[in-house]
Amino acid sequence: MSTLDTLMDILVRDYGVAREQVTSEATLATLGLDSLSLLELMFKIEDCYGVKIADDTPTDLVTVNDVVRYIDGLVARKAELRPAGAPDVPTGT
Amino acid sequence: MTVRRVAITGLGVVAPLGNSSQELFANLIAGRSGVQHLAGPEARGLRSPIGAPVTFDGSAHFPAPRLRMLDRVSQLALVAAGQAIVDARIDLPVERRERCGVFVGCSIGGAGTTDEGYHTLYAERSDRIQPYSVLNAMTSAPASWIGIDHGLSGPILTYSTACSSSAVALGEAARRIMFGDADIMLAGGAETPLVYGVLRAWEAMRTVAAEDPQNPSASCRPFARTRTGLVLGEGAAFAVLEEWDHAVARGAPIHGELSGYGLTSDVAHITRPTPTGQANAMQAALDSAGLEKGDVDYINAHGTGTLQNDAVETAAIKSVFGERAYAIPVSSTKSMHGHLLGAAGALEFVIAVMCLKCAAVPPTMHLDSPDPACDLDYVAGRARDGMAVRTVMSNSFAFGGTNAVLIVKAFDAR
Repeated sequence: MSTLDTLMDILVRDYGVAREQVTSEATLATLGLDSLSLLELMFKIEDCYGVKIADDTPTDLVTVNDVVRYIDGLVARKAELRPAGAPDVPTGT
Repeated sequence: MTVRRVAITGLGVVAPLGNSSQELFANLIAGRSGVQHLAGPEARGLRSPIGAPVTFDGSAHFPAPRLRMLDRVSQLALVAAGQAIVDARIDLPVERRERCGVFVGCSIGGAGTTDEGYHTLYAERSDRIQPYSVLNAMTSAPASWIGIDHGLSGPILTYSTACSSSAVALGEAARRIMFGDADIMLAGGAETPLVYGVLRAWEAMRTVAAEDPQNPSASCRPFARTRTGLVLGEGAAFAVLEEWDHAVARGAPIHGELSGYGLTSDVAHITRPTPTGQANAMQAALDSAGLEKGDVDYINAHGTGTLQNDAVETAAIKSVFGERAYAIPVSSTKSMHGHLLGAAGALEFVIAVMCLKCAAVPPTMHLDSPDPACDLDYVAGRARDGMAVRTVMSNSFAFGGTNAVLIVKAFDAR
């Protein structure tokens, strides 16, 4: 499942966003997510990808694609730190 | 200055025994109890796992994104307030909404959110507090949400005076109308204390009733020799209060008149009530309504079921009404719906109005053996109907000593 698909599932299930609204270019604001919602979304991403987001969560995540790229960056950094042979799967939402 | 009259034009309730004023009152008249054994995690390890919960599913009223921003206390408040607006048949968008306000009584705010946050911190040893925690837990959230949802831009205030909070909110709201500061006020209370931390804290005070092992629903026994304490309940109750001429002009359903409000303080002890403070509040309410002692047809007592309260309240009623006290039906509906703390005054205000509308008074249940110190007519065991109920007094007294008494009168076109 792509990062966009996973993010889309979270936005639809937990934030009541219509699936067809979730495009790469859509802004979080137009999807109804305010700054506190974004902070909460970070918790869900931590759980889903088994990553730890630093306290200084970036504030320049404007579009869905920004979030996707941010997650992909976190996952890539995690992979660099992962011992060889360890599984690389989301831990569930 | 002319004091304007205050019409009660809408009622809304989400409470043990009913999610409408009609359902609640029918159950009270039938003597049914909403007190029950609590089997959920909120009651684990309690010596007396009892409470009066509300049957309520927030997801039936709010979409998921909204629910995350609403503690249960705000959910109950919004639904009860919405009911009151529908009941008042008022089209708020056409009103001068800067002349409409919201006063809410709430004692402990979003207790579930607070409990969950502390669990995250201390039990899970995590730092991941939900970002909405402050906004969900703040005591003023129910009032703010009601104002936001309905666009009411007059005064929005939250009163927190423990168990008299929402009686104070109603009384103060009425005064805003009486003295010309507002034309329409949505006033009431909400409380959701059935969470682990709150239940534990109340148990630690030794004021919670022992669970009746044979019949948990009979655990709260106000005025009884065998009473052992109060039972916590959750819920919300609201009323639309409206300037009388405004209500008449738009053909509103007028359920009654909020005509009297007395507010005094004990200034004695943080928990121990005084007959003088309570009596002064009852007398002040009578005076503000321009009523005589003989005018009161029924008293909805504070009647918590604690040893202290019931005897002191009885003494206070007798000191105000003298010999007439013995002729006035007095009942504690907390024997059935439990003690809603900051929402108690509003719930019992709604019940008082329903007494006017239905010409009936609910009983005090589980009162088989009265305390000798409690020797009034407590309408024990069976409701009374077919009587004239034109004027009702509703008592609310509180830890901290804030005494609030409301008086409602039947519709009088005068």
